[in-house]
Amino acid sequence: MRFLTETNINFMKYRGFFVWFSLALLAVSGVELIAFKGLNLGIDFAGGTQMTVALRDEVSTDELRRQLADAGLGDAVIQTYGLPEDRTVLIKTPVVAGSEEGSAVVITRALGTALNNGDAFDLNQRGTQAVAELLFEKDPDGLRGGDEAEARLHYEETTAALLDARQPVFRSMDELDAVSGLSDATRNLLKQETVLGAFNVVGAENVGPQIGEELKQKGIWAVALSLIGMLIYIWYRFELRFGVGALVAVFHDFLITLGLFGLINYEFNLPTIAAFLTLVGYSVNDTVVIFDRVRENMRRHRRKPLVDVMNDSLNQTLSRTVLTSGTTLLVVACLFFLGGEVIRGFAFVLLIGIVIGTYSSVYVASPVTLLWEKYFSTEGDQVRKAGKA
Amino acid sequence: MNRSLVMRAAVIVFVVGLAAYWAYPPETKIKQGLDLQGGMHLVLQVETDDALKSETDKEIDRVLRDLEDAGATTVQAERTGNIAFRLTGVPAASKEKLTEEILGGDEWEWSVSGTTVDVNLKSLEESKLRDLAVRQALETIRNRIDAFGVAEPIVHREGLGGNRIVIQLPGVDDPERVKKLIKNTAFLEFRLAKEGVPSASSREQLVAALGGTVPPDVEIMVQNNRDETTKDIVSQTYWALEKRTVITGRDLKTARPTQGQFNEPNVSFILTREGGRKFAEVTGASIGRNLAIILDQHVISAPTIQDRISDQGVIRGDFTFQEVQDLVTVLRSGALPAGLTYLEERTVGPSLGKDSIEKGLKAGLYGSALVVLTMLVVYTFSGINAILALGLNVVLVFGALAIFDATLTLPGIAGIVLTIGMAVDANVLIFERIREEDRAGRTPKSSIDSGFGKALSSIVDANITTLIAAMFLFFFGTGPIRGFAVTLSVGILASLFTAVFCSRWMFDLIYARRQRVDHISIG
Repeated sequence: MRFLTETNINFMKYRGFFVWFSLALLAVSGVELIAFKGLNLGIDFAGGTQMTVALRDEVSTDELRRQLADAGLGDAVIQTYGLPEDRTVLIKTPVVAGSEEGSAVVITRALGTALNNGDAFDLNQRGTQAVAELLFEKDPDGLRGGDEAEARLHYEETTAALLDARQPVFRSMDELDAVSGLSDATRNLLKQETVLGAFNVVGAENVGPQIGEELKQKGIWAVALSLIGMLIYIWYRFELRFGVGALVAVFHDFLITLGLFGLINYEFNLPTIAAFLTLVGYSVNDTVVIFDRVRENMRRHRRKPLVDVMNDSLNQTLSRTVLTSGTTLLVVACLFFLGGEVIRGFAFVLLIGIVIGTYSSVYVASPVTLLWEKYFSTEGDQVRKAGKA
Repeated sequence: MNRSLVMRAAVIVFVVGLAAYWAYPPETKIKQGLDLQGGMHLVLQVETDDALKSETDKEIDRVLRDLEDAGATTVQAERTGNIAFRLTGVPAASKEKLTEEILGGDEWEWSVSGTTVDVNLKSLEESKLRDLAVRQALETIRNRIDAFGVAEPIVHREGLGGNRIVIQLPGVDDPERVKKLIKNTAFLEFRLAKEGVPSASSREQLVAALGGTVPPDVEIMVQNNRDETTKDIVSQTYWALEKRTVITGRDLKTARPTQGQFNEPNVSFILTREGGRKFAEVTGASIGRNLAIILDQHVISAPTIQDRISDQGVIRGDFTFQEVQDLVTVLRSGALPAGLTYLEERTVGPSLGKDSIEKGLKAGLYGSALVVLTMLVVYTFSGINAILALGLNVVLVFGALAIFDATLTLPGIAGIVLTIGMAVDANVLIFERIREEDRAGRTPKSSIDSGFGKALSSIVDANITTLIAAMFLFFFGTGPIRGFAVTLSVGILASLFTAVFCSRWMFDLIYARRQRVDHISIG
């Protein structure tokens, strides 16, 4: 299927409108970032604790919030995680002053006090080692009279089979009946000696304020240096006015995406930085391909005004621009919808960024180059020297 | 068939075959990050100030003892900083002895004014001590983790000469226990109870028994009595103990778990020769008195000495089975030279990791399917060429990950998925050029030639920018983010090979060897 071939759209005719359009978007982003909500910094940068907790029974987030408030964690943010039937929640607390270890322990204890009763061995929460040790100690299969090491190995294997079936909580003891690799004696022992607690912590992150600050610094350096890297590359590769156009386009994409990201209130964390750097690379890439063609066409048609050369070039590369952005958008959309909670923010940056980046290659980079040419270029014959590289 | 075609086919088969060999089967050949396989990532800070303080305290003790031996018994000492102390009331007669002999050597520097001497550790010694403390802590933590039994743990110091330790424990699903185990100072000491002062159930009672004030050589310590089944603290016993320790954990040669007569878990220990000698001396002279066993400032038990004990004994307490296991581990690994602070902790349960892999794979599969479909619709037969190149690309990425021992993380998977979308760009650039040349009325062979030729500079340009971004991400990123930078860079480099070299070969194979081709199937 051939599409968008030999188009002859006068892109540059509408450039006045789009310059204002971009400025408006930039203004929205600027207001959002400086005066409105700013960025919702995740614990990677702000420090704090984040836990993913799988619940045995359905417990409403309001109920959990009340329980945690009772334990002095009134500022905890609780939200459901993944699908409702997973019965999983995300609990976030800011850095606790004076507590070096973060509040994972406090949260776990508070949940334990609120939802569990007693100190019986909790089969939903205890780890591999603890379960293996319990079985070894109680020895339901009666192996410890013989080879101790063999008995240990046997119970370690039993534990592995058992915990593989815990995904990530047992909702009732009946689930044990379906676990293969357990002897009846073991199964009965577990049913008698252990209880199924109300929750299991499936992920926990504590980031101290010191590390958070360092990660922030590193993130800023990474972004700043890669922008400088792009600048140097563009400077080396193109003459000044194209460089200015490409650079303005990169900053345009970066700022607008950042603003929209803040507006939608997604959490800004380490993977988000990765997404932004990728976006910077992608945005330049898209512009470079168009300018490559402009340069080639300038060499070929030496008498043509720059604006016409640009229109030709944009038309010639249009199908490529649309197709590449399209395939990249398709995979990014898959990441966004299917990739899970952890990379949703990451995918969002690219989703927005690719659209903005594609738009800016056409309507920011080129108009800025033309404006520069009009107001700052002293040598009218620069057009002729365009083919330097 | 043309010789160059055969040669190039050989190159492609060799490269792709090698990559496939390296990467197959991916479950075992590709290292998974903790975010995928589950496990624990910890960053600890060694509080090296602790080590300096205790070193300074030791030095003060030594200096005072030496001064006493030299007849200067009235000297007072006070620690004035982590690495500084002040001696006051130094008699003129002892000054030379103090500076020339006692403080002599290269470690300390001092200044004298009147009867006061200020002593400071030299800064070179200070950094040596700090370094030693971190190295000791590293060694101790390694021992503990080895004893706990984690497969392929990584324990290393962050940077050169830093005071941070990074620990990665794949598969660990009981983070609280591991954290406690690592951080446990497990400072074990044996002290005699003050002669003639029995234990009491409250502090006041005990102070009264001591005659109203606590003598300077006595310290009051608490024993928590626990219920045998629930292990809750039910009462407390107060002991008046001598400050002087008989032996400490350092005098232990080894420790192991044992069981008492009612099957209750205990810890038995064997002392070193020196420790045994000290222990025998004290116990032999103190039959009938109580000997308190103290762990981290809490009395575990305080049995009455029945007989002279030389080199082995049993620690009884209200231990659980697990507590005994962990205590033995910690006692065997040696004491930590300084306190530890957790700066960062990230734990991922195995179920969460599995879930991430599944979702990442799903997104990748659907994404690839959509890209494949698009390429087929847009470029028909030539689309197959692009799809083959894409498949090879993924094989190459996995091969590179395996051979460079790079770690695949969740963002890394996202990077591969993203590469699938971006890698077709090179093909698109080439195909669009070929179409243009084709439209301009060139022969198929010449269209292909100039299509590849003209697209090359754009392809290189476009990929360099992404590589620049990935490079900075690699240098400044940590853990999972590095994984993303790696897969993205490798994916882009691989796409250069597949799109430019492999695709060209496929086109040449189909079109170039025939003399007369009148149509390129490129949609």
